[in-house]
Amino acid sequence: MSDPRIDLLLAMADDELVIGHRHSQWTGVAPHLEEDLAFSSIAQDEVGHAVVWYGLASELTGKDPDALGLGRQPDQYRNAILVERPNRDWGYTVARHYLYDTADDVRLVALADSAWRPVADATGALRREERYHLLHARTWLDRLAHGPVDARRKLGEGLVAAFGEALGLFEPLPAEGDLVADGVLPVPHAELLQRWLDMIAADFDALGLERVLEEGATMADPEFVPTSSGEMEAPATLSGPHVERRDRGWVPVGEFTGRGGRHGQHSEDFAEVWQEMTGTYRAHPGATW
Amino acid sequence: MTSRTVTAPSPEDVRAVLDAVPDPEMPPVSIGELGMVVDVRVDGGRVEVDLVPTFSGCPAIAVIREDVERALRPLAGVDKVEVRFVRDVVWDPERITFAGRRKLAEFGIAPPGSGQTLLGIGGVKCPLCGSRDTVADSPFGPTPCRATNYCRGCRNPFEVIKP
Repeated sequence: MSDPRIDLLLAMADDELVIGHRHSQWTGVAPHLEEDLAFSSIAQDEVGHAVVWYGLASELTGKDPDALGLGRQPDQYRNAILVERPNRDWGYTVARHYLYDTADDVRLVALADSAWRPVADATGALRREERYHLLHARTWLDRLAHGPVDARRKLGEGLVAAFGEALGLFEPLPAEGDLVADGVLPVPHAELLQRWLDMIAADFDALGLERVLEEGATMADPEFVPTSSGEMEAPATLSGPHVERRDRGWVPVGEFTGRGGRHGQHSEDFAEVWQEMTGTYRAHPGATW
Repeated sequence: MTSRTVTAPSPEDVRAVLDAVPDPEMPPVSIGELGMVVDVRVDGGRVEVDLVPTFSGCPAIAVIREDVERALRPLAGVDKVEVRFVRDVVWDPERITFAGRRKLAEFGIAPPGSGQTLLGIGGVKCPLCGSRDTVADSPFGPTPCRATNYCRGCRNPFEVIKP
């Protein structure tokens, strides 16, 4: 019987490593130089955070952090499917960046109360560093949501594509019950999901995404509508398994069915990112820098 | 007196050495001055040093560990050096010492206390000419702990320790 804390650490570490790798794929090809630097810097942070969690997992498993991060087979990775998807376009990138970093924040806030001290301690530095990621993600969400028309449309499409899979970040862990009972995970993922849904519903409200759709539909020249043109996908159109739209927000309904990243089930896109991410390590096992 | 024993260094001796170990990415400043030293314990010939990284993803962590070991091993009375990076302390720019701040400014990096903000609303004191007529450029600078700004006074870009 393996330690259920390893599942928690690997879920977080693998999320951070894979999203960090995807972010790094903007290096050199982002829409402008500042975003090259921003995504490269955020990627570096995320990989650094993965190392923190792999370091703790290393203490429990006795395995080298590099071997944990880069030496496993694809079905042994526990990241959510959301983070393994290709960057697609800027709209999807911003949508996923926002959904992921808000979800990570909800998770870190909760874990600050973990009964397992090493995890609770680590959240302090991580949240301090994540402030910049949240600021960056919200700034871009705001910017795209306020136009021009093409930006709104792409952000809307990105949110629609990413939202359902973002729910997978809250898929219960295999030994969720034990982790909650021991206080390692202070609240179950179902509760974390509700907290996150409330957080993003408030952000979407603040951006006026709802009003936008109603007003914009009647506008002849949508380009200069103060908030948006109506071509933005409204939050109401965002849907996914296990959530229901209610009172300008969402509530989780029912249990997670099926198995996703937390059980090692991945999409066809994972093979590609796994090969690229682990290629050097697999080609030169045990090499030192 | 029948034998000469080499006495182990005091924690203060060790800290004095750490105050002179340069940061790999900002060599004019030491890791001691950056506030990275959390605790020093000396037990006989065994020296344990607890450090906190400025940022978790700092790529210089391994280099810093080696530099600290290399600096402490030659100390008289030291047999073994153990460097740990701890996570129960959160590094904060306020940990940077007064001497460290002065050296950062001399190196061209605005130290904490220069007026930097998370949002980057400008007005950070330029370490090169002292002007406050400055604007934020990017919160994502050359290392995780540094942002970039621009001085309209002397028309130079400069770096800032992130708040």
